[in-house]
Amino acid sequence: MVIGTESVNVRVDEPVERSSALNRPLTRRGFVTKGMAVVGLGTVLPAAFVRSAFAESLPSGVTSKRRVLVVVQLGGGNDGLNTVIPYSEGKYYDARPRLAVSAESVLPLNDQVGLHPSMVSMKGLFDQGKLAVIQGVGYPNPNRSHFRSMEIWHTASMTENAPTGWLGRLLDATHHEQKALWKAANIGAEIPQSLATRKTFVPSLASVQSYGLRETGARRTTDWVRLYAAQAAMGGALALLSKTGTDAYESTLQLTGKTAAYKPMATYPGNALGTALKTSAQLISSNLGTGVCYVTTGGFDTHVGQPGAQTGLLKAVSDAVAAFQDDLAAQGMEKDVMTLIWTEFGRRVKENGSSGTDHGTAGPVFVVGGGINGGLFGETPSVRNLDDNGDLKFSTDFRSVYSTLLSRWFQTNPKDVLPENYPEIPLWG
Amino acid sequence: MARLVTSRQRIQHLLRRAGFGYQASELEEYALLGFEGAVERLLNPEKVNDSATDAVLASILEPMAGNPDDRDVDRVQREALYRAWYVRISISKRPLLERMTYFWHDHFATSQAKVQKATYMQQQNETLRRHALGSFRELLLAMAQDPAMLMYLDNRLNVRGKPNENYARELMELHTLGVGTGYKETDIKEAARALTGWRIENHKAVFKTSMFDSGEKTILGSKDNFNHEKLVDLLAGDRRTAAHLADKLVRYFVRPDGEAALTRRATDEYMKTGGSMRDVMRTILLSEAMYSDGAYRAIIKSPTELVCGTQRALEIATDGRAEKNFASPMGQVLYEPPNPAGWSGDGDWVNATTVLARSNYAQQTTVRNSKSAADVAVLLRRYGATTSAAAVVDFTLDLLVGGDTDATTRTVLIEHIGGANHFNFEQAARDGSLQGMMYLALSMPLYQVA
Repeated sequence: MVIGTESVNVRVDEPVERSSALNRPLTRRGFVTKGMAVVGLGTVLPAAFVRSAFAESLPSGVTSKRRVLVVVQLGGGNDGLNTVIPYSEGKYYDARPRLAVSAESVLPLNDQVGLHPSMVSMKGLFDQGKLAVIQGVGYPNPNRSHFRSMEIWHTASMTENAPTGWLGRLLDATHHEQKALWKAANIGAEIPQSLATRKTFVPSLASVQSYGLRETGARRTTDWVRLYAAQAAMGGALALLSKTGTDAYESTLQLTGKTAAYKPMATYPGNALGTALKTSAQLISSNLGTGVCYVTTGGFDTHVGQPGAQTGLLKAVSDAVAAFQDDLAAQGMEKDVMTLIWTEFGRRVKENGSSGTDHGTAGPVFVVGGGINGGLFGETPSVRNLDDNGDLKFSTDFRSVYSTLLSRWFQTNPKDVLPENYPEIPLWG
Repeated sequence: MARLVTSRQRIQHLLRRAGFGYQASELEEYALLGFEGAVERLLNPEKVNDSATDAVLASILEPMAGNPDDRDVDRVQREALYRAWYVRISISKRPLLERMTYFWHDHFATSQAKVQKATYMQQQNETLRRHALGSFRELLLAMAQDPAMLMYLDNRLNVRGKPNENYARELMELHTLGVGTGYKETDIKEAARALTGWRIENHKAVFKTSMFDSGEKTILGSKDNFNHEKLVDLLAGDRRTAAHLADKLVRYFVRPDGEAALTRRATDEYMKTGGSMRDVMRTILLSEAMYSDGAYRAIIKSPTELVCGTQRALEIATDGRAEKNFASPMGQVLYEPPNPAGWSGDGDWVNATTVLARSNYAQQTTVRNSKSAADVAVLLRRYGATTSAAAVVDFTLDLLVGGDTDATTRTVLIEHIGGANHFNFEQAARDGSLQGMMYLALSMPLYQVA
């Protein structure tokens, strides 16, 4: 793997692994200390980049310095075919007598495909050139298990139980300051596998307000810090707990006085996703050096009663993402932030017997940003040319999306994160 | 540093793993039995009188007799469901029985978030408990016709000619053989046919012959006109199932990175006894591996273990109403596993928010004059741990972590309540430093591990 061969060793600082696997031991197998990353063809990255993760030089047309990626994960497998709808394709209507969305009601992106009628807000972003719709995204030999397919997307690896996530590897590859505790933030209760790192601390928080130790007075807090410091030396599970606790506490101190100035300048919907994206905007505006924010929203596993459920879900996503984009623009941060929206798989072309759809394969990915080329990318998946299981064939590998964001947005070498080369998607230039 | 030397130390470790910690008086009861006697008491819950627990639960569970189709009844039942189990775990005198019930809830993960019927979840919980230390084959069969399971993995929709593979897949992948053990997609498809015919009517699981696919099926190389019972026999008797369960139990009770030799012995015991979980558990609980240095303090307590174990140790008289809100910010609510694979546990319990949430829980449960919090001074008086700062701290550390801490930890706690020279029990109880000491002990990493 590239991370190993590229490493010019400097020193080991004994990090605690933050593996997120099922009962997996906290081994140090395969751990490699990152020194100065060496880019392909012998080029050495400028020192400025290596010090500051999210970087200095910029793609053409982008003028700001800050680089942030906000990831929105739609958990459960969103039905892509009823999200970016091939409304001019008769076979689509044949396959879905009960679930098909009528051609009159879709929000057309061109004369063949259109967005689900509940996605008015995102259609607005499309019309402003701020939304890229990448069609037919998937990977070879698609897996229809939620767990396994999510794992593949999170780790960008076809190997089971890969120890780190793709964003985790990005963070580790640029990790040099022990006190940089806000390089990334997960808005939610559980760190997604995408953010599994070997050495970088990633805070997870439900909201800025709720994040922190309850006030117990100076004496208790001082002694709490002493106990956590003392027990870090005990190794194993105790070291993981101690270091996480200490970093978490210090990360709350770094927030002090920085987050209060933020005032949302758009009306976010009252749903959980809207609240999480507002928190992301708050963190980004607080200048903590945050390069990645991660948000997960669920409910897309629509085996039963899909029409009502998906309408509500897509409206929630669409409204929240558009409000977030409006807020960023009003705060003067629109050129600093990209948003990536993905799901672990699309669903079967044929509807099932209970007004729902079962697990399928390829689906659309959305990228939203102020400085991108908006529009439609990739091939529209054909509902006539299906795989052996009657599912859509993918045309764009999801790792192409990652690779494009890594090289063009973060200006980093995708090889730090992905084992192979993937063609870029022309979202910039 | 062999840490678990004395019989008492081994029993403390045993009760942290095979139970949910211990009250100080409870520990002494087990200690009187000796190590092997303590193991046998845990393994034979039916010989322990637990009528006090039953009496408390009877009143909480009273609404379960009502008709769940009545919305008001349903609302009360939903609350009773959670309360009853949190209380039971906190006070039961049959800790291994509760531990195993909890293990099976994780193994046969079923969520109220999807089932949305408290009576079904309660019934499943009682079924899990009834078979918790019995025959795995009986447990598996009971789960195949359990209303909550039929709802959760959609098997009630699995009908002849229109099979639904959801349950068949998880049955092999999660409940029995284990992922990647050589079964094929065709085995899943054929097993789904064998599992057809089950519906829920009048809140009961019923078998409908007309919806059952009675044709011949080939599953794992065997040809038969399999039904659910024959399939259960096939799967429960397969050595891969034994090995899968043994490995999971060893990771769960002994060490999260597994222990191959013990797993082999537990697998053999399963095969020898026809899947007697009591015998498999005896093999594990009496093994040397369980008390080895590699197993010591290697397991991160789940939020349920932490909250219910704290209530037990600090003798908090809980009514079961607060636990869900205590445990949820730490990442776990009973009856709501995140997916059919259950909670991933271990290192996944640990992130910035969940670790701070554990300390915040410690604060909430040591606050004075709260119904759901501990009365620290009363507890210490009850056991006579009042004479010096060292006496208070040593009692607390022995109760919570079995003693054996570094010098700094002990010193910090002793100094917190006035140290050798300025300690006065009544004053420490009044000025909050006693509660502060307990807050610190409950917050510290050492208390988060078992």
